[in-house]
Amino acid sequence: MKIYFTQGTTSCPKKSISPIALKVIGLIFFSVLSSFVIAQNTPITGRVSIRDSALANVTIQVKNTNTYTVTDENGRFTINAPANATLVFSSVGFVTQEVAINNQTSLNIQLVSSNQQLNDVIVVGYGTQRRRNVTGAVSALTGGDVQRTPAVSTSQALSGKVQGITTRAGDARPGAGIGLQIRNLGTPLYVIDGIPSDEGLFNQLGINDIENISILKDAAAAIYGLRASNGVVLVTTVKGRANQRSSINISGYYGLQNFTRYPQPADAYQYLRGRTEAVQNTNTVTGNQDLLPITKEELNKWQLGSDSGYQSYDYLKIIMRPNVPQSFINASASGGSDKITYFLSGSRLDQEALIKDFRFNRTNIQSNIEAKVTNRLKVGTQISGRIEDRHQTGVPGTDDYFNPFLSILSMWPIESPYANNNPNYINGNVHNINVNPATYDENVTGYTDDIWSAIRANVTADYDFGGGLTARGVYSTTYTARRYDCFEYTYNGYTYNPATDMYSVSGGNQNPYRQKTRANIKEQVAQLQLNYTKRFGSHTINALAGYERSNREYTELNMNSNPPNNYIPIMRFQELTGTSDIWDKWAREGYIARVNYNYKEKYLLEALGRYDGSFIFPKGQRFGFFPGISAGWRISEESFLKDKISWLNDLKIRASYGQTGQDQFTNNGDWITGDPFAIVAGATTGAGSAVFNGALISGTAPRGLPVTNLTWITNSTTNIGIDITLFKNKLAGSFDVFERKRTGIPAGRYDVLIPSEVGYGLPAENLNSDLNRGIEGILTYRDKAGSVDYSIGVNATLARFRDGEHYKPRFGSSWDQYRYSIEDRWGYASWGYHVVGRFESMEDVAAYTVNNDGQNNRTQLPGDFKYEDVNGDKVIDGLDERPIGYQQGATPYMSFGINGSASYKGFTLQVDFAGASMQSFQRDWELRIPFQNNGNSPANILEDRWHRADPFDPNSAWIAGKYPAVRYGSNPNFRFSDFWLTNITYLRLKNLTLGYNLPGKVVKKLGINALRVYVNGTNLFSFDNMKEYQIDPEISSTNGFSYPQQRLYNFGFNLTL
Amino acid sequence: MKKILFLFLAGSFFLSSCEKDWLDVQPQTILTDEQTWNDPKIVVTVLANFYSRIPAHYSLTAGWQAMSEYDEAMWSGFSNDEWRNNIPTYGYERWRLWDYGFIRDIQVAIDGIDGSATLTTDQKTQFLAELRFLRAFDYFEMVKRMGGVPLVSTQLKYDFSGDPSYLQLPRSKESEAYDFIAKEVDSIKNDIGNTGSNTRANKYTALALKCRAMLYAGSLAKYNSQMSTPITLPGGEVGIPASMATGYYTAALEAAQEIITTGGYSLYNTNPNKGENFYEALAKKAGNNEVIWAQDFAQGNLHFFTYDNIARSLREDNLGSSAIAPSLNLVEDFEYLDGSNGALKTRTPDGSDYIYYDNASDIFANKDARLYGTIIYPGTSFRNQMVSIQAGVKVWNSATSSYQTIESDQFGSIYGGTSYPNGDRGLLTGADGPHRTQQDISNTGFYLRKYIDADPGASKRTQLSDMWWVRFRLGEIYLNAAEAAFELGNTQTALQYINLVRERAGFPANSLKALTMEALQHERRVELAFEDHRVWDLKRWRIADKVWNGQNNGYSVVYALYPYRVVRPGDSRNNKYVFEKIIAPRFRSPHNFRLGNYYSSIDQGVLNNNPKIVRNPFH
Repeated sequence: MKIYFTQGTTSCPKKSISPIALKVIGLIFFSVLSSFVIAQNTPITGRVSIRDSALANVTIQVKNTNTYTVTDENGRFTINAPANATLVFSSVGFVTQEVAINNQTSLNIQLVSSNQQLNDVIVVGYGTQRRRNVTGAVSALTGGDVQRTPAVSTSQALSGKVQGITTRAGDARPGAGIGLQIRNLGTPLYVIDGIPSDEGLFNQLGINDIENISILKDAAAAIYGLRASNGVVLVTTVKGRANQRSSINISGYYGLQNFTRYPQPADAYQYLRGRTEAVQNTNTVTGNQDLLPITKEELNKWQLGSDSGYQSYDYLKIIMRPNVPQSFINASASGGSDKITYFLSGSRLDQEALIKDFRFNRTNIQSNIEAKVTNRLKVGTQISGRIEDRHQTGVPGTDDYFNPFLSILSMWPIESPYANNNPNYINGNVHNINVNPATYDENVTGYTDDIWSAIRANVTADYDFGGGLTARGVYSTTYTARRYDCFEYTYNGYTYNPATDMYSVSGGNQNPYRQKTRANIKEQVAQLQLNYTKRFGSHTINALAGYERSNREYTELNMNSNPPNNYIPIMRFQELTGTSDIWDKWAREGYIARVNYNYKEKYLLEALGRYDGSFIFPKGQRFGFFPGISAGWRISEESFLKDKISWLNDLKIRASYGQTGQDQFTNNGDWITGDPFAIVAGATTGAGSAVFNGALISGTAPRGLPVTNLTWITNSTTNIGIDITLFKNKLAGSFDVFERKRTGIPAGRYDVLIPSEVGYGLPAENLNSDLNRGIEGILTYRDKAGSVDYSIGVNATLARFRDGEHYKPRFGSSWDQYRYSIEDRWGYASWGYHVVGRFESMEDVAAYTVNNDGQNNRTQLPGDFKYEDVNGDKVIDGLDERPIGYQQGATPYMSFGINGSASYKGFTLQVDFAGASMQSFQRDWELRIPFQNNGNSPANILEDRWHRADPFDPNSAWIAGKYPAVRYGSNPNFRFSDFWLTNITYLRLKNLTLGYNLPGKVVKKLGINALRVYVNGTNLFSFDNMKEYQIDPEISSTNGFSYPQQRLYNFGFNLTL
Repeated sequence: MKKILFLFLAGSFFLSSCEKDWLDVQPQTILTDEQTWNDPKIVVTVLANFYSRIPAHYSLTAGWQAMSEYDEAMWSGFSNDEWRNNIPTYGYERWRLWDYGFIRDIQVAIDGIDGSATLTTDQKTQFLAELRFLRAFDYFEMVKRMGGVPLVSTQLKYDFSGDPSYLQLPRSKESEAYDFIAKEVDSIKNDIGNTGSNTRANKYTALALKCRAMLYAGSLAKYNSQMSTPITLPGGEVGIPASMATGYYTAALEAAQEIITTGGYSLYNTNPNKGENFYEALAKKAGNNEVIWAQDFAQGNLHFFTYDNIARSLREDNLGSSAIAPSLNLVEDFEYLDGSNGALKTRTPDGSDYIYYDNASDIFANKDARLYGTIIYPGTSFRNQMVSIQAGVKVWNSATSSYQTIESDQFGSIYGGTSYPNGDRGLLTGADGPHRTQQDISNTGFYLRKYIDADPGASKRTQLSDMWWVRFRLGEIYLNAAEAAFELGNTQTALQYINLVRERAGFPANSLKALTMEALQHERRVELAFEDHRVWDLKRWRIADKVWNGQNNGYSVVYALYPYRVVRPGDSRNNKYVFEKIIAPRFRSPHNFRLGNYYSSIDQGVLNNNPKIVRNPFH
């Protein structure tokens, strides 16, 4: 492909691009091109720069004409324009500047980076606002901020970037999103190009198609009504810009991934020694005279590991491959005339998992086209499509990823994956063949393909009535299809007989399984809005009225079968073992009104309201009204400050209060009524079944009382904030304090005591409340030192859930109240025991006066935990529990990020840290209990433990360690205590990128417009307190069986044609 | 203007699509009351829901794990359930049941059918009788656990007035609850229909309920009063006067005799192999004339009981197995066919040496055939496949004149190879264990046979088992009749019934010549093992606190039998089998049944909601 580009004044873009692109562009624009008008005037030359660096590709347009040009790699331009004309300088990422020519023939223009600037237009609900006029708590990110990290899902890219966002990557398997919340309020509403969308659609966006993201956190979100109570993430996709020269952009990267961390399993010697100790230590307690599992001589051979047959297997190494690839490629074309703008983009992401045959890929397309039909009417479409493909081996069990992780700590290190280490024969003689990783091969155990495809089409029409009145209609439909196919094969295991050198079948899996799921989601959104903008002298009014309705219907058909062989995926009736047919639907509508008023952009006021209806409530009770108000005062515009204090550029105080209604209750989307059709009486089908005289009858159950007395949960959000810009706009900051109060949370009115014998409980009523409170802030500093441009930003959020008032709480005792009251308390604390010491010896056990194990310490051994006897009753029991940590698995209460960048000549260095504190992780199961489920254990539990000097001599001396003595069965050390709970704080280097823009001369020689290359590292290191457990600080699964984040080394490029 | 019109049209097009009311969503899974109660086919589906909700302390699908928590077996499955072997005392909330959600739904159905416009009188009569049977059965399940409970027999409807006190009903007397069950059975037994069905309740199902309930009531009346301190409440909610015993026993005997004489049932006795025959008596569905009422399963509604409990080496796919491991205590309770005590003989009478057996199964020779039908023991097979139960080898050391015991962590391992270069390459540890510490393998040396499905594939996750759960069978009715007759002083009648049951087990005709209460109790233990009788029998006889007394002996502890192969080359004892009786290694706490366990505690919420409900004793 050869590219030509003609520099200079031009009336229509003349270039030869790829034939396909030409066709596309040609088709769309053929009719439009003729409308360009040719202008002939005096030539004006000049240079555009930011501070001292030349800016290439800045569009320069003669205002109100179709004459434009762009700067070259040295920032130079020439344009023909009338001497009295005005030139408009624009470029993505910079503040658009208008310069009157005033008979000059040469211009030197300095552009200002638009990042965080007051003039930035940011997207708010159903429209845009200039940042300086925003009165709500809104954070904004550009596409560039998001694309800095090679994140697979959009949520990953937001971690640590702005204040108000809290994230936790509980499971970072290929293609997975991460837990993202705004101010820890719950799952937010995602709005993509104005259309409410779900988390999946957001996470699987083409990352290069994102123009910007706004986070609405307070009453500003309320305009989205009933789903916006947890905040709103607004995404706008890239649009072509009018009169922008056509360009084609190709970018991509290729990287190699490795785990950040995973617990190392014990080796054969540690394992067998642990087994011996376990029997010895268990016998000490129970008095049983069990045989030890191994002799001293044998154990020594395992320790040496040199004799044949005494080699240890490391299943972490066997299962997880190093350096697996992740790659991305995107191509886009964008441009526009004065009548039509377009942006077309296609991208493909491939990510392999560290487990063989597990991978993820995604293809995205985005097509945004807008056309001015007349001067008043503009129509447009945004069409986006994606295909996500998750391919895994068909490991038995519901989640294919689970068993490989289980295997690492479950396979005994004395067991080989293959019989006689011959990779043609799976070892069937293992303690559980389902966790033998030799079977995790798609040719052995089968495959799972989980393919989601989605297409969304938005059609918009904008009509300008003139005089500031505009109307907009939007219709959007999304069709999502899931195609899930799982085929688990049968396979044989083998044992090797060295005497005969033969392999014989032993064990294996004769449990074939086939599942097909076909699911469809059909979503519709329609919006109609009227906007009115008018300026009367110093007064500006902006009003919006709108109506919106949406619904979503989900259907799913499942079939399971017992396939007769490992080859034929088609299912036949005789082989079926089960089917299910699932249906679900919801519908909502709302009326929207908002008025913005400002006086000289000094006093700002916004009032809004929504009248929302949901299908969940009975007819006649469906609608609720939720208002909001916010105000801002730009103190720096006051005459006593304006231009009086040189270092103060801008200072604004804002406050907001808003309400939203909620018909869904928890993060899982549970309906407030508990059941989407709780208002319906009658009988539920498909409830249980019984066999009558040989025939299976599917059951029908009478329904409970219809729920008619519940109505909306009301969220009231209060926010007070301050925005400040100092030192010639070098330092910008924004700080907020906030609270969300939810009232009307369903609860039983339990002072009306319905006898249990009635057989049903009273339906819940809107009685309880809770709160979320917090503070957040961001501070950004940009400056230049020599020829180095640099910026550094820090942000932090502290947001915490607090239980509110409950309907007439009752407590049996003061302790009951202390332990179980959630009245006006920080919520979801982890309660457990406090370890105050260790038993040092059997004498210490005998002399200890507190009944530590509830069995007069007969089960205690040296090294066991002594729990704090909080109430001093000499018995350790539930009464001695106290708060020892935060909510487990939740997004962290405190999040912070540091983002920096520096550029020198063509080089840029970007660095992003993200961190969190006030989150808790509990080590349980495999990470706590030796030989859990008859498996192996992490090495540290079996190594750094209390034990006897000689495991074969029960009378030898005890040696101290970190973990308690290894034994079988439950023991008092497994109680939930602060030994097993870690309150995590971490700061990790999310991203380090070094990029280089090739100089203009080189680029020109290559016949292209611009080329940037970069190297990048993700998750290179972290400071945290989970290192010794070899656990990634963000995972939440208590046994550690989840995919930790990857360390990625990456090379990428960005090419503009 | 045209354009405004266009815009207006476009707007109305997508907003006024066809739905009348955007927020009216019609569910696709819910029937209206009119549809439900006017169609006999739909009423049968309501019954199917109710049958699936019949409570049980344990069954093949609900709470079967509790089989491991008494003296019939222990837990040998997944190690996270290890606590089942470590229950120092039974909690007072154990067995609790306050099942009024089910009662309410039955009442809703009764009212719906009563008010139905299109059901015929015959249909209504039959449905109502069946619903009242289900209600009576549910009350029996409650009264045997809780003592007297409020007897609700109408729909209790709250009027939302703020004062629901008019809905408060007190607990009935314990005797009133049993009387209610008897009365209900009497009044519906001729209307209930379903003749010949053993999966939907019919006349004899109802009589079987009455028979069992009356026997319980009779023994409660008799044995509670014989306690040193009878367990009673002043209102009679707990405690039946001794004077009522005779009436209840008589009712039990009459109900049993009506089933025996007019029901057309017979003890299953078709397989000449008495052990296999006893297994088939519960397992066989076709041509089984013994089963009165069972919870059946079929394709689409199958269960995991076989998957979870089949002997280790017979697993068809690879997770779990062997969870319920029968105890040596139960094995030894099966008598020898000559009527002698069933204790197994492992050592010479003077205790100086093992008894050496040629085959592992020889130690069980001449035992009650129900042992084979209930338990897989060393040297027997299942699904025509030999089960290999051998803990290890006993290697003779002539220098010390003693045996060294060797066991392996590998099942089906050979005594030889790198670890034992001097071994004889014979079997070391059997493919079925037992093993002292590992999970999913018997810890006692025994596996369950009763209720384990012999069909190939029944232990596969993708196929599963359709083995049914027998709620009533003639064998129990005979033992009920025998016990009631014995308590009424009619020993000859009692002997006649009990000997029929013993004869089917391989004993000679009239094997018992005299009868004691202990013999009756013993007979129920071996005949009805794993059929959810043991706890309730011990409770009503008021001996549970003595049998499970928390002491480290007797029935409070689960014992195991570990077989070993003797390695003593050149000696006649080489390759013979010896046995060790030990406390099961994974067993941790002796069972301790307290006086407060005779009746379960009532949930605090129930007490709060209705001040007329009185607590049970000791709680």
